[in-house]
Amino acid sequence: MSTDRRPMILMTPAMLWLFGLMVVPCVLILVLAFFRRGVYGGIEYTVTLENLALVFDPLYFKIFLKSAGIAGLSAAIACVLGYAAAYAIAAMPRRHQSMLLFFAVLPFWSNYLVRTYAWIVLLNREGLIVNLARWLGFEGELPSMLYSEQAVIIGLVYNYLPFVILSCYAPLSRLNPDISEASRDLGASGWTTFRRVTLPMTVPGIATGFVFVFVLSIGNFVTPALLGGGQFQMIGNLVYAQFLTANDWPFGAALSMVLIAVMLGLLMLQAVVAERASGRKGAQNG
Amino acid sequence: MTQSFLSIKDVSKTFGTVQAVDGLSLDIRKNEFFALLGASGSGKTTLLRMLAGFEDLSAGDITLEGTSIAGLAPNQRPLNLMFQSYALFPHMTVAQNIAYGLEMDRLPKAEIAARVNEILEVIQLGHLAKRKPEQLSGGQRQRVALARALVKRPKVLLLDEPLGALDKKLRSEMQLELKRLQHEFGITFIIVTHDQEEALVMADRIAIMKDGKLLQVGTPHDIYEAPQSKFAADFIGVMNFLPVEKKGTNFVGADGSVIRSESVTEIAKNGAAIAAIRPERLHVTGTGENQLSGEIAAVAYHGLDLLLHIKTPLSDTPVISRMTADEADGHAPEVGQSITVQWSAKDTHIFPN
Repeated sequence: MSTDRRPMILMTPAMLWLFGLMVVPCVLILVLAFFRRGVYGGIEYTVTLENLALVFDPLYFKIFLKSAGIAGLSAAIACVLGYAAAYAIAAMPRRHQSMLLFFAVLPFWSNYLVRTYAWIVLLNREGLIVNLARWLGFEGELPSMLYSEQAVIIGLVYNYLPFVILSCYAPLSRLNPDISEASRDLGASGWTTFRRVTLPMTVPGIATGFVFVFVLSIGNFVTPALLGGGQFQMIGNLVYAQFLTANDWPFGAALSMVLIAVMLGLLMLQAVVAERASGRKGAQNG
Repeated sequence: MTQSFLSIKDVSKTFGTVQAVDGLSLDIRKNEFFALLGASGSGKTTLLRMLAGFEDLSAGDITLEGTSIAGLAPNQRPLNLMFQSYALFPHMTVAQNIAYGLEMDRLPKAEIAARVNEILEVIQLGHLAKRKPEQLSGGQRQRVALARALVKRPKVLLLDEPLGALDKKLRSEMQLELKRLQHEFGITFIIVTHDQEEALVMADRIAIMKDGKLLQVGTPHDIYEAPQSKFAADFIGVMNFLPVEKKGTNFVGADGSVIRSESVTEIAKNGAAIAAIRPERLHVTGTGENQLSGEIAAVAYHGLDLLLHIKTPLSDTPVISRMTADEADGHAPEVGQSITVQWSAKDTHIFPN
């Protein structure tokens, strides 16, 4: 066997897996989105742009915007909290860092549903948080925190925070301490050093974390279903409903397609940000 | 009385149980090119970091023109440090890197631009102003780091192994370049190095550090020609060491011959001692108060000169004698030949062993 064929052979199972479970379904979605829904469900094989047009119908587009808003806010909150945590971990003595990271990622090893149900326990009308507020002396009627937009955001931030901690920790831990010392030496205060040196150099980590949380949040349907209650719909729930309840696969496919397009766009944007900050792309015309 | 410029007074630094700098005092003059020379772990970098403000003093004080700077944060000190790693900001261009320190001083934009351009001319990198550090060679980065620190016109420029990352040829060019810049800017330079040759070539004065203490401070000539300890003698340049024993007023070598010296450091009576002679002071011709004979064990050709390794009964390690190219042309020494070299008593240093 020639040596240059070995990588191909090693890659084949993973490629087949990806092709079968990723590429084929995506192509199916892409194709489905251009067909018509049959009268009794099912698919009528006539090409149409109706489904795509329907996505941009104000009724549905509003859900899109609302989902993007919730995903964006969740991602932003997760970035602030995650960056702060990653910064603190990276500032610890080396020997403690891996232990702290392990704890930060620990929730990942438990079931997503279990963790989300835990928030129901915490947030409900007689939940721990309300009781804690009462105990602290808060009187009067407390608004129910469960089944609200805030609850969904809390759930999303909580679930995806470890991603952000990891993605921000990577560039923070790689920073050469000489560089921030050089900034101090040249006359910058600690805050200016952070703003002009540390932050710009670690922006790729933040961008990666943001895009991760955003992409995972905007398509999430479990958290909005459980913490948002039935009254609350995000785009993920809508897609879910089209496929499983309304039996309108073509429209579900069209929604998915737009969602995938948004995600791809964001991932590309993130790649550009990462390239910029590395200093590799700059004015070549010196 | 002239007030001392930069004064380090009884400064100590302890890290846990390690005494990195141990009660060190040193006065550095204005516009001086000063070298802190020592092996790794000698405390020289810690001392430099204390001057820059990155390490607190465990004890002692540092004053600049009579005022204590020991309590000031790094960004409040009129000293700048050029880092060994250069520590350039990778997300900024060359010009932005250099302008950074001036922006921190809140200078007007026009002045910043003028001074950045001016220093870019000095380091001859004007054409690379818009490049990112990633796109520069090692030597270019080194000059940008230097310019970034110099452009602030600090009272003292601290340089941590500034030439360590450069190849040999570039290093010797930059040694002279640094000296020229120091002269041109009229700024006090304090350089930390483990490279004795670098210190000899560049510095006006050298301090040899060992175990957090100063072993000897002096001009390169003093340090080289009149070392005050065996360590200093060994650390700088190449040195031959011959074990000797004090018998009465004489020092006697292993073969019983008397070795004469005009430079004897205090030694306990009848103690074991060591005689140190530079290779270039051992001559195959001429007359000296001392002489030894042996067999040539190896000949090392260096182009510029020739080093003879001579096996003698006086020491276990061969004695090294340096012949200039001219001398070697006349003699053509060969391995296995017996040879006699002589040297003068004034070139022999005797230290306690």
